[in-house]
Amino acid sequence: MASTSQKSTSLPGRTALHGKAMTMHPNPNSGKPGLVFCELAHLGKLNMRADKSAGKMVKSITGCMFPPAANTFTSAGERHAVWLGPDEFMIICEAGKDEELASSIQASFGNRHAAVTNITDALAAFHLKGAAVRQVLAKGCALDLHHSSFTSGDAAQTLLSHAAVTIMALADDEFIVICRTSFASYLHDWLLDAALEYGVKFNK
Amino acid sequence: MMLIDCPFCGPRDETEFSCGGEAHIARPLAENKISEAEFADYLFMRDNPKGLFLERWRHSAGCRRWFNMARDTVSHEIVEIYPMGALPKTAAAKSAYSASWRRDTAAEHAAKPARTTVKNAGKARGAK
Repeated sequence: MASTSQKSTSLPGRTALHGKAMTMHPNPNSGKPGLVFCELAHLGKLNMRADKSAGKMVKSITGCMFPPAANTFTSAGERHAVWLGPDEFMIICEAGKDEELASSIQASFGNRHAAVTNITDALAAFHLKGAAVRQVLAKGCALDLHHSSFTSGDAAQTLLSHAAVTIMALADDEFIVICRTSFASYLHDWLLDAALEYGVKFNK
Repeated sequence: MMLIDCPFCGPRDETEFSCGGEAHIARPLAENKISEAEFADYLFMRDNPKGLFLERWRHSAGCRRWFNMARDTVSHEIVEIYPMGALPKTAAAKSAYSASWRRDTAAEHAAKPARTTVKNAGKARGAK
């Protein structure tokens, strides 16, 4: 399954979780912590308004197929195209590549009725991994997150403990959660608290 | 708590949605001359029935799209969900639509474009 690199980037500028220190609460039942999470600093995010007719163009520039159905995403390496609405989706790309990608998409529009907006710094992204990741998310989310129902390649915009988020399942035990930058600190604190009973580690 | 079937995202929790109030209130067209009291019908007067009600809803924490919903305000039963700009199809919701006091107001009549022939439409453009 596609992955998104956890390596922190050396791009300039503070990120949403700039001031948060590495945190570790051991698993009370011994063994590995049930949740290990980190911020995907500067992860590129583009909002795109276009319908299916833009599919070929999106594929040729980003490598990602147009999301085939509601509540899904497609991947090509570290890039993803996430369904957000009937004529709206989000392109996720490597840190630092967002501006270049946005301008090449913009250039290929021609007369197409479409728009691309760089929302990299408006949103913050978390990478979550661990055996208890679904249980932790389920504490604040009304969606059915059972692995038979929310499988890898599924995405949803929903509320996570009252904060508006986009949840993407990369694998059975691996998720990306994207929220507004101003909610990042709150979600970080909430995740640490919600995962306490499983053991949790926050990596810088 | 309601489980609302978003026409785009599928069934979701009520907390993800926001209610936009009464549906099917069309704005009187600017070129129409209606009285201030009649315009106030459009601007201020809202229904609040006990029973079936046609409402606009928005999936604000999801796809952020609007849609219409026929909902019973007593039992919370969702009778029908239908797109913006469309009229309800089920018998109960249809009769709720036609029974609304709003159907008879001058404001609603003024919201419908006056029928103009092709000839007149041409004249109107020329006049500009």
